[in-house]
Amino acid sequence: MSAFLLRRLLHAIFVVWGVVTVVFFLVRLTGDPTGFLVDQTATQEEIAHTRHLLGLDRPVYVQYLDFLLAVPRGDFGTSIRDKRPAMRMVLEHLWPATVQLALAALLLSTLLAIPLGIVSATHRDSCVDHLSRVASLFLQSMPSFWLGLMLILVFAVQLQGLLPSYGSGSLRHLILPAITLAAAPLAQNVRLIRAGMLEVLAQDYVRTARAKGLAERLVIYRHTLRNAALPFITLSGLSLGFMLSGTIIIETVFSWPGMGRLIVQAVPGRDFPVIQAGVFVFAVIFVLINVLVDVLYTVVDPRVRLSS
Amino acid sequence: MWLCVGGMIWLLLTLGVAGGVTPTLNGVEIDPEGELIVALADDTNNMDPRIGMGSIRSNYIRQVFESLVDVDAQGNPVPGLALSWKPIDDLTWEFVLRQGVTFHNGEPFNADTVLFNLDRFYRRNLDTWGIDDVTASTSFEKTHPEVTRWEKVDDYTVRLYTSDPAPTLWDFIGREPMVPKDYTRQQGVEGLNERPVGTGPWRMVEWKRKDSMHFERHEAYWGRKPLYTKMRFQVIPEGAARIAALKSGEVGLIEAVPPLDATVLARDPQLRIASSIQKLYCRLYVNGRPQDQYDSGGQDGLFSDARVRLAMNHAINKEGIITKIFNGYARENASPVSMVSYGYAAQPPYTYDPKKAKALLAEAGWQDGDGDGFLDKNGDTLSLDLVFPAKHYGQAFDEMTPAVAEMLKEVGIQVTITLVDFGTLLQTAIKGTLPRNGGFTACRTSNNLDADDYLRDWAALTLINWAPYPPDLLALYQASKREVHADKRLQLLAELQRKVRDWAPVVSLYQEVKVYAHRQDVLNFVPIPELNMDFRGVALQKR
Repeated sequence: MSAFLLRRLLHAIFVVWGVVTVVFFLVRLTGDPTGFLVDQTATQEEIAHTRHLLGLDRPVYVQYLDFLLAVPRGDFGTSIRDKRPAMRMVLEHLWPATVQLALAALLLSTLLAIPLGIVSATHRDSCVDHLSRVASLFLQSMPSFWLGLMLILVFAVQLQGLLPSYGSGSLRHLILPAITLAAAPLAQNVRLIRAGMLEVLAQDYVRTARAKGLAERLVIYRHTLRNAALPFITLSGLSLGFMLSGTIIIETVFSWPGMGRLIVQAVPGRDFPVIQAGVFVFAVIFVLINVLVDVLYTVVDPRVRLSS
Repeated sequence: MWLCVGGMIWLLLTLGVAGGVTPTLNGVEIDPEGELIVALADDTNNMDPRIGMGSIRSNYIRQVFESLVDVDAQGNPVPGLALSWKPIDDLTWEFVLRQGVTFHNGEPFNADTVLFNLDRFYRRNLDTWGIDDVTASTSFEKTHPEVTRWEKVDDYTVRLYTSDPAPTLWDFIGREPMVPKDYTRQQGVEGLNERPVGTGPWRMVEWKRKDSMHFERHEAYWGRKPLYTKMRFQVIPEGAARIAALKSGEVGLIEAVPPLDATVLARDPQLRIASSIQKLYCRLYVNGRPQDQYDSGGQDGLFSDARVRLAMNHAINKEGIITKIFNGYARENASPVSMVSYGYAAQPPYTYDPKKAKALLAEAGWQDGDGDGFLDKNGDTLSLDLVFPAKHYGQAFDEMTPAVAEMLKEVGIQVTITLVDFGTLLQTAIKGTLPRNGGFTACRTSNNLDADDYLRDWAALTLINWAPYPPDLLALYQASKREVHADKRLQLLAELQRKVRDWAPVVSLYQEVKVYAHRQDVLNFVPIPELNMDFRGVALQKR
């Protein structure tokens, strides 16, 4: 186990270095941010002066070496537009706003998906199954910005402020964005669990379990669900990664001060330090979640060994 | 006048509250302890005015900070932190400062404050003051090098000396917000930016970046105060979500209402629509630079001939665009200067006249020789590679550009539209890599009041100067820069605007009318033609 974790850690460092290096050079290919900082009537001389103050007139390799030396200290520089430490800005948006929203949506999409998927599979072709499949299709097809606006119109406007339409900081604020964010993964999870369950339910060992008189509850939860859960765990891990990377549309519709909007605003604004800090955090999150998913595999399915 | 009326209202309100009587405004009971939540599309990047005063940032910064020169609801200059300003001679300006003004932390405002700010503007004595420089959007030492020194005459009088006459000094210095000297030295420029302290009607108490900014009324404010105590600027980026928050009563006022939504919202009895012309002036810039002023490949810009640009102005049905696309929330303007700037002189409109446009193009030598519907000259086709920045200017800008392209095609100009992000357009403008037949639609605004801020657009080679002044116009412009006598200068400005109108360096499209919507219980809100909202005198009806 420890050898596995050590190997994954080295792997992670290499992946994160690769990602930040690629991003460092890619963002510089998109142009420089000086134009955003000067007045539109600025002359070439003023523009050159601002570039100098930003250090963008130095050779790119010098900028890259400085960057590499600073990264281990967690120093990603100062935001070009906000004049604040870039990593601090990213972390302020990651916690609590983005983490709260991602975990709430993950909880919602998992806790609802498991029973719905099981019922749908165990009552195959019944009315409940059809309803669940149609609802899943519907939820997956709905664009999240549309769903978000509809929820706002119903719960904030029509129901006279039953739930707030924007902002963060309380459970009430979390409800509508979490539902909107959870909708698509929920539908996906229901379909995945249903499909997995149907496949496992047809296996010989399930028939054997039933034949030896095991209670149906035990057959479903002990023998079927655990075996059907592996793809679901992988997908949930990836979903959590995406959710923690910030969800620009949800954050925009609900004015949720999360990381997605910060990074997406930084890209057209050519705010290199914020983009680099954000991508670094994304990369770390994805790598850690992948390790976690690998470890979870061994818990769910003892046949899987980390060393293999 | 406003000061007296404001003072009286404030006195009456105070007496009313002290006597246990609910205060009223025009017979309506108001809530002096209320909070107004204003939904805005974006947060400010900075609060230190030196870093920059763009259209979003100004709205935040000018609640907290004030300038020597203030503006009234019509956009006219009125006394702010300075009671008066005047040229003593051709090379000296004098500002007489308002007495009894304090910053939110109690620091007094006086001549020393102004000298400190002038040093910051011109990046002088920063080591002596012990403060860092900041990357500023305006470099005064480069844009206004004519200001050579400044001195304190007494605690409330400051004089500035110039090497050349500087008739707009009252504007370019007067409109810059003033920051406190001692506080900035103690907290550093970073502290000033994070925890700004100004003399304005609102004191910032909390700033949740990208989310909200909370204000409390500056009780020692010298002028007309807002008639409620708390205010929050709430960032709601999505337009539909802003409208929903207004309708649900979660916010009291929203900005940047799309013109088509304004008509619908006006039917809601709970809501009111307010609008005001803005300085945001949108134009089609086309490449008319000489070959030595851009990455040309040895050829002048295809639109160097003024007759071609003039023809393009006549080819566009601006009235139709304003009526159909902007629902009337925009204005046509043939002057190169914003209609609310000091020194603006109205010019005869470029009438929508495709025949005249074609005649002008023919006069410039452009004919449809091969019958393909597009004009040619010496083997060249009159084509326009039109770039426009999507999702940047709001209102109905994005819908307007394709309409303009279609109208230009009608007179024989081959137009290709490319949609880019704003940063890409800036790159093109900075590097001077706009193609020979290139153009872009963009808007410019101003933090200043004087017409000069627009007329200087074609004097130096800047991001938006793609048709530099010819020698005669440059000479006239420079004459206006030297004329200190107000009446004579206004005449020069009018003459320059007339000539620039006929020379047509850009294709004038529209000047924005900004639309706001608010709950009916928000009283006395009057939008001003500046980049910021003014809440002085605004009240909240008691619920």
